[in-house]
Amino acid sequence: MKEYSIIGKDVPRTDAEAKARGSALYTDDIRLPGMLHGRILRSPIAHGIIRSIDTSKASRLPGVKCVITSDDTPKIKYGNWRLFPETQDEYPLAVDKVRFIGDEVAAVAAIDRDTAEEALELIEVEYEELPGTFDVESSRAEGAPVIHDYCPSNVSVNRKIKYGDIEKGFSESDYIREDTFSFQAISHAYLEPCASLAQVDLDGRITLWTSTQTPYIVQCLLASTLGMRENDIRIIKPYVGGGFGGKMELRPWEFCAALMAKKTGRPVKFTLGREEEFLAGRRRHPMKIHSRVGFKKDGTLVAKDLRIQLDGGAYNAMGPTATFLCGNFGAMLYRYPNYRFLGEHVYTNKPPASAMRGFGAPQSLYASEVQMNIAAEELGIDPVDIRLKNAQVSGDQIPDVATISSCGFSESIRAVAEMSGWYEKRKSLKPGQGIGIGCYSFISGGVFNWFNTQYPFSAAEVRVFSDGTAHLLTMASDIGQGSDTVLKQILAEELGLRMEDIRMTSADTAMTPQGDLGTWGSRVTLMAGNAVIDAARKIKEQLFGAISARFNLNVIHHVECKNGRVQATARPDYGMSFGEAVAMVQKANRGEPLFARGSYTPRGKGLVTPAFGFGAQIAEVEVDRETGLVKVKNMWTAHDCGTVINPRSVEGQLAGSIQMGLGYALSEQMVMDGGRTVNVDFADYKMPTAMDMPPSEVVHVDTYEPEGPMGAKETGEGLASPTAPAISEAVYHATGFRCKDLPITPEKILKAI
Amino acid sequence: MRLPRFEYYAPETLEAALSLLEDRGEGAFVMAGGTDMMVKMSHGRLKPKTIISLKSIPGMDMISFDPANGMMIGATTRLADILTDLRIETHYPALIQAVQTMANVEVRNMATLAGNICNAAPSADSAPPLMVMNAEVSLASVRGERRLPLSDFFRGPGLTLMQAGEIMTSIHLPAPQVGRGASYMRISARCGVDIAAVGVGVEVRVQSGVFSEARIVLGAVAPVPLRASGSEASLIGKPLNDETLELVSDMAAHESKPISDVRASADYRKRMVAVLTRRAITQAYERSTARHS
Ligand SMILES: Cc1cc2nc3c(=O)[nH]c(=O)nc-3n(C[C@H](O)[C@H](O)[C@H](O)COP(=O)(O)OP(=O)(O)OC[C@H]3O[C@@H](n4cnc5c(N)ncnc54)[C@H](O)[C@@H]3O)c2cc1C
Repeated sequence: MKEYSIIGKDVPRTDAEAKARGSALYTDDIRLPGMLHGRILRSPIAHGIIRSIDTSKASRLPGVKCVITSDDTPKIKYGNWRLFPETQDEYPLAVDKVRFIGDEVAAVAAIDRDTAEEALELIEVEYEELPGTFDVESSRAEGAPVIHDYCPSNVSVNRKIKYGDIEKGFSESDYIREDTFSFQAISHAYLEPCASLAQVDLDGRITLWTSTQTPYIVQCLLASTLGMRENDIRIIKPYVGGGFGGKMELRPWEFCAALMAKKTGRPVKFTLGREEEFLAGRRRHPMKIHSRVGFKKDGTLVAKDLRIQLDGGAYNAMGPTATFLCGNFGAMLYRYPNYRFLGEHVYTNKPPASAMRGFGAPQSLYASEVQMNIAAEELGIDPVDIRLKNAQVSGDQIPDVATISSCGFSESIRAVAEMSGWYEKRKSLKPGQGIGIGCYSFISGGVFNWFNTQYPFSAAEVRVFSDGTAHLLTMASDIGQGSDTVLKQILAEELGLRMEDIRMTSADTAMTPQGDLGTWGSRVTLMAGNAVIDAARKIKEQLFGAISARFNLNVIHHVECKNGRVQATARPDYGMSFGEAVAMVQKANRGEPLFARGSYTPRGKGLVTPAFGFGAQIAEVEVDRETGLVKVKNMWTAHDCGTVINPRSVEGQLAGSIQMGLGYALSEQMVMDGGRTVNVDFADYKMPTAMDMPPSEVVHVDTYEPEGPMGAKETGEGLASPTAPAISEAVYHATGFRCKDLPITPEKILKAI
Repeated sequence: MRLPRFEYYAPETLEAALSLLEDRGEGAFVMAGGTDMMVKMSHGRLKPKTIISLKSIPGMDMISFDPANGMMIGATTRLADILTDLRIETHYPALIQAVQTMANVEVRNMATLAGNICNAAPSADSAPPLMVMNAEVSLASVRGERRLPLSDFFRGPGLTLMQAGEIMTSIHLPAPQVGRGASYMRISARCGVDIAAVGVGVEVRVQSGVFSEARIVLGAVAPVPLRASGSEASLIGKPLNDETLELVSDMAAHESKPISDVRASADYRKRMVAVLTRRAITQAYERSTARHS
């Protein structure tokens, strides 16, 4: 591995101190003079026609400054899939019809939150209730209630993938396995509830501070739904307390804050409550997965036929992407010479599901991994060995998708087996104890341009100064994952500067370079990182020119930025400080400042992603056979994220993934009663706490991704997948209970054993 | 949700608190740690007109112990203080078992035992161990004081024998006795911070190798912490063995009246009553014999 000075080091996060001290400002912390507080009236019924809305009483309540319904809006639909306008199915406030309990119907802005809340109770809405549908079977049944008129089948998206010869594959298989899996909805449960604050200036332009993963997407969609020009909207992302996919769309409160700020001339802020988040918030897709796989006797995979139905809830949200990705993930990890996928995104009268950490992979890979374990057992092969036999390797081609440029999957499997003492423990654990493995692969950002951006996928601007400092501007959004730190590290490494030499401005659409599609799909390190390097190299070209001229260097000399200097590599005395070099370039350009733009857009990288991360995880559990309670005793992870830019950040991602995976596997679910989410607080939404975290060990497999910045790729989402299948296999090993419908609750275990 | 408008007092004597409570009448509530009250108020489920904090009354947070008379825990003693009291740990380990599973560090630094009892949630963790250990509570009002056994105290979810104008001043546990042992076991879906799906408290007295006295109280499986008197009776005169445990734990499951909710199904709760009863009896037995030596 190349020697770096800042890359690969445990550089403290740039936001750590502010967050630890409580001085970091989140959207809800921002207060502007004259600011109003907004609240949203939500539908109490799952499906119905709005007959009338009377807001007169609410408007008359002292302290209420503005009440709006869809009649006060331009009634323009939006959705993230701009490339396919027919998928854009949502209005900021319901027009004529409500489609889930929690659907946004009206909004109030008042002098304080309590007054706004009281005003909501004074809005009179007359509904004509319609029959609803609450699962994919009934939505697809003959005569089912139609949720959107444009889509009489309730199936809003379908995706087919096919390669090889599936029939032939199965006919040549010695062993065929067929299983159905089902998955619950879970909540992102980010600690910062959604919040937005809008202010209008004298020219009618809007500034919106909002808790978002995707400032640019919000800018574009807010403009289009308000009938305004993009550049008349400025989105600023303050500190964000987590997103996990739940904050990557335009949301009704962003729209309402902006519109009401325009109407009243006063700043308007919305902050959602936790109950609201649970009741109406986005969630991970419930799914039905039907999977048929064929193997040779020796464990070689031959064919896979995968059918997935996503319970999308009332709107598409990011469901179309999840539908596509499920199909891609279904063919990842192992070599499937013959593969067929049919994915359907189905409307139901429930709160919309959307992107959530893993984006289809946790479900799709749970099915793959559990089936792999079943097959291993039935074919008499160790689960680790059957994986090694079929594992994808560097250079493998996935038809129509991509060539895997770097892959440390087999190394990960071997490493995790070794560090956990797998072979020994598989044989020697006591009854009630078990050990299991789960693996993952994930994308490092998407290639498919569903948002139809006309800008590069990521961009960066670097300004350098004669005092030896630099200013990095990027629209990449740090939502707690640490991208500000990592991008600074990349720039510091490239320019030979220290972290403290770099000022950073990020995620402000009026200041930072267009564009960036935001934080999702584990894209930021690779894409924004490449944009930063691109800009830095343009700066370096100029600095190197200056050094070359000043010292009359032979053109074959290599010049470098290192330790705050710009110098000939072979003759460090032919060099000067970074600031002096900048000054020289500026002098040569008659005072022009030195700055450069860089960008990254994946090209010629297939349809899915420029690079794949891989990894394997092993869980050891103890199951109380009387109570059914599962205690995870230990987790071991070995993974390939390419070059590790910041080890502590990567370990943070791992710890967070294990926490989420633990909940997904064992305790978290949005309990539904028809269309109503029943458990709307943390007392009854069983998210694991710090006390539930198992000890964990990790090995970073050493690989280099040619397409990644300094060889790096993803680590944010892939790790969200292996925990549930690993725990599931460990529970099976301990009890003989194989769970095909998450979560693995004590009640299910007891019923089975 | 808008917090209701209320008056707030922090009187410095019990007498002042009592007369305020009497004077303000309906709509006046005393507050200890506020960890139940504030949650209810911010959800609009409790709308007090007057709040009288007990925390400024000196001495009300005392814990005192003497081997002859037992333990007295003041009404504003924090759960955190109970956890660090070695005398409680030595003589009343079942209470420690309950308190250490309650909430988290932050909440235990505010919450009180008296608050947990007065709040009268069917799932209150401290109720089963206190009841099986024959705890009593002291209540005061402007009309005087009285002392009640805790086993008579609960009347329904949020309902107790406490009357308007009364304040709980302390909780009493009888002196520890040779040959007795108690235990509390609870189960919930998450091991960190969670509300009990089922809790079981047991105290036994063992003489000549057989159970001579038993109290079993089941939490979170009925509108009040439930005395399982049939199970208690069936334990008497029996030695500790699998047969006894099976008989008594099945009986306890039978006596419980759980509901199904998001935390657990009624079926699962019944099964867990049996499991926890078995485990708690076993542990209580061990503790009773440990005291002999
Ligand atoms: C995050 C969280 C987790 C929790 N986990 C648990 C748990 O695991 N197990 C559990 O059992 N509980 C739990 N609780 C509930 C709560 O913390 C306990 O019931 C606590 O013991 C209440 O004590 P307090 O002093 O805060 O009561 P307060 O909220 O002050 O009072 C509760 C009620 O009792 C009345 N009251 C209080 N003191 C007196 C008195 N001296 N005389 C007369 N009336 C009085 C009040 O008027 C009020 O009605 C949890 C709460 C939270 C917020």
